[in-house]
Amino acid sequence: MNAIELSDLAFGYSERLLFDGFSLDIAAGEFLGVIGPNGAGKSTLLKLVAGLLRPSRGSIRIRERDLDGLGRREIARTVGVVLQENPFAFDYSVSDVVMMGRNAYMGRFQSPGKHDREAVSSALEFVDALFLRDKRINSISAGERQRVVLARALAQEPGILMLDEATSHLDIAHQQLIARILLELNRQGKTVVFLSHDLNLAALYCSRVLLLDRGKVVACDVPERVITTELIRSVYGVEPIVTRHPESGRPQVMLPGERHQTPVSKP
Amino acid sequence: MMQRRLLPGWVGLILLFVLAAALSVAVGPGGFSGTNLSAVMNLRLLRLALGIIAGGVLAVVGASLQGLLRNPLADPFTMGVASGAALGASLTLVLGRTAGAFAPVGGFAGALVTMLVVYALARVRGRVTATGLVLAGVIMSFLFSSLVMLAMILGRRTLGEAVYMMMGHLGAVFTGTTVWLFGVVAVLSVAGCAWLFSMSRSLDIMSSGEEAAETLGVDTQRVTKTVFVISSVLVGTVVSFTGAISFVGLIVPHLVRMLFGPEHRRVLPGSFVAGAGILLFSDVLARNVVPGGLPLSIVTALVGVPFFIYLLRSRL
Repeated sequence: MNAIELSDLAFGYSERLLFDGFSLDIAAGEFLGVIGPNGAGKSTLLKLVAGLLRPSRGSIRIRERDLDGLGRREIARTVGVVLQENPFAFDYSVSDVVMMGRNAYMGRFQSPGKHDREAVSSALEFVDALFLRDKRINSISAGERQRVVLARALAQEPGILMLDEATSHLDIAHQQLIARILLELNRQGKTVVFLSHDLNLAALYCSRVLLLDRGKVVACDVPERVITTELIRSVYGVEPIVTRHPESGRPQVMLPGERHQTPVSKP
Repeated sequence: MMQRRLLPGWVGLILLFVLAAALSVAVGPGGFSGTNLSAVMNLRLLRLALGIIAGGVLAVVGASLQGLLRNPLADPFTMGVASGAALGASLTLVLGRTAGAFAPVGGFAGALVTMLVVYALARVRGRVTATGLVLAGVIMSFLFSSLVMLAMILGRRTLGEAVYMMMGHLGAVFTGTTVWLFGVVAVLSVAGCAWLFSMSRSLDIMSSGEEAAETLGVDTQRVTKTVFVISSVLVGTVVSFTGAISFVGLIVPHLVRMLFGPEHRRVLPGSFVAGAGILLFSDVLARNVVPGGLPLSIVTALVGVPFFIYLLRSRL
């Protein structure tokens, strides 16, 4: 079964179309990395699938159902989204923030029930942030906040998780923590779509990598076939050095060492 | 920690309200004795009811708009909505021959049009900035205050009436018809505040941004439209009785958030009680300090402006 099916999509923010005839299938249970330069359309793709933007043509199917036929609340129960920026205008407690993930399960006049509170605790526990539950969202660190926002998405109990630059402001320990959490969620059967500028993290953790450029699929395959010198050079316009990760054998990208290209290294 | 402050908070708010209501009924130029006490009491009780509804509505609408727009400076007065309502009400007073029976409708229309215009002016690339909103609101307020004055002069009304319309008062002169009308507005106000209260969770969620709220299952467009229309009905109809009162809707929600935290299910009811209490206090001052009384906004602005400056310096 496919978790997400996009066929013949067209979308543009202005007259000029960013996507035109875009098609992609994302299988249920896969851990897809989405990479590509700024403006490639990664965030736009996420927003289309989450129903935040509407395509001008084509169809989006989520778990074999048309997105058009699904209400906001139904989408929220199927797709959990972590957006790039998560400002909070008011200083809610961490557990209140995660409880917001239960909104799609609660009636208008209903207050949180036993199952809602359990979902919140277990989501916080899963991201190792249960100890933050009584803290205020604007008083915790960026790494902690990212985990809380992820916990909010988990409280939605979605089959599909999509994250936009979930690790970009974080130190390597927090990057690893988030990536491990996603890997564990993926092992439990969730479909994970991970948008990132971090090619190495994507190569290391994802089962498949989608390389986007100006709204087109350049390649979508296992990391070894996508993160190659040729493709990275042609899409990003840099001269990369692609090596293998010493343990996993996955490709890793480095920039050339320009500071040290001194006469010493000349043959 | 929040839980512990809840009960004392409520006790404090209700004490404030009861004290203000008692003062409002007991103190006034007519004293609290004499042969026409029952006539004086009738006037004061109506004034009390008007003060409760006006203060409650302004504060609840202020809190809802601040939550909806994620903007600490939003309020019916700073957004120009109160002035727009005052203009709408003035026009119906001046043009109509039905002794003000349509003033609440005019107030609603003026409020809604202003709300939409200010929102459109302040919204740049999908985001409503705090300063943009206030700038647009202030500019519309200038325009509407001038137009209220113009309408009142052309309609051969007194300057006093124009000043009260622009700066607020609780001394509405009730006739048989307008008492009934006020009854309807009061019921409508309570119902409107209850409706806003029923959207507490959506307002909470919208504090993390429109897109995030949509991914959590909130229909943000519908919430925005609903809050705008209800706010316009509430502010428009209330202003048609009281004129535009400044800053109550801005300050009260912030004070209540300091007490209860940001959850709208507590902030909205708390704001109603605190707003009513603070407006009644202001009215006691406004009508007893200077012989003949003062417009309400003189009192509320003396407190409100320093608070506004504090918000501007610390929260933005």
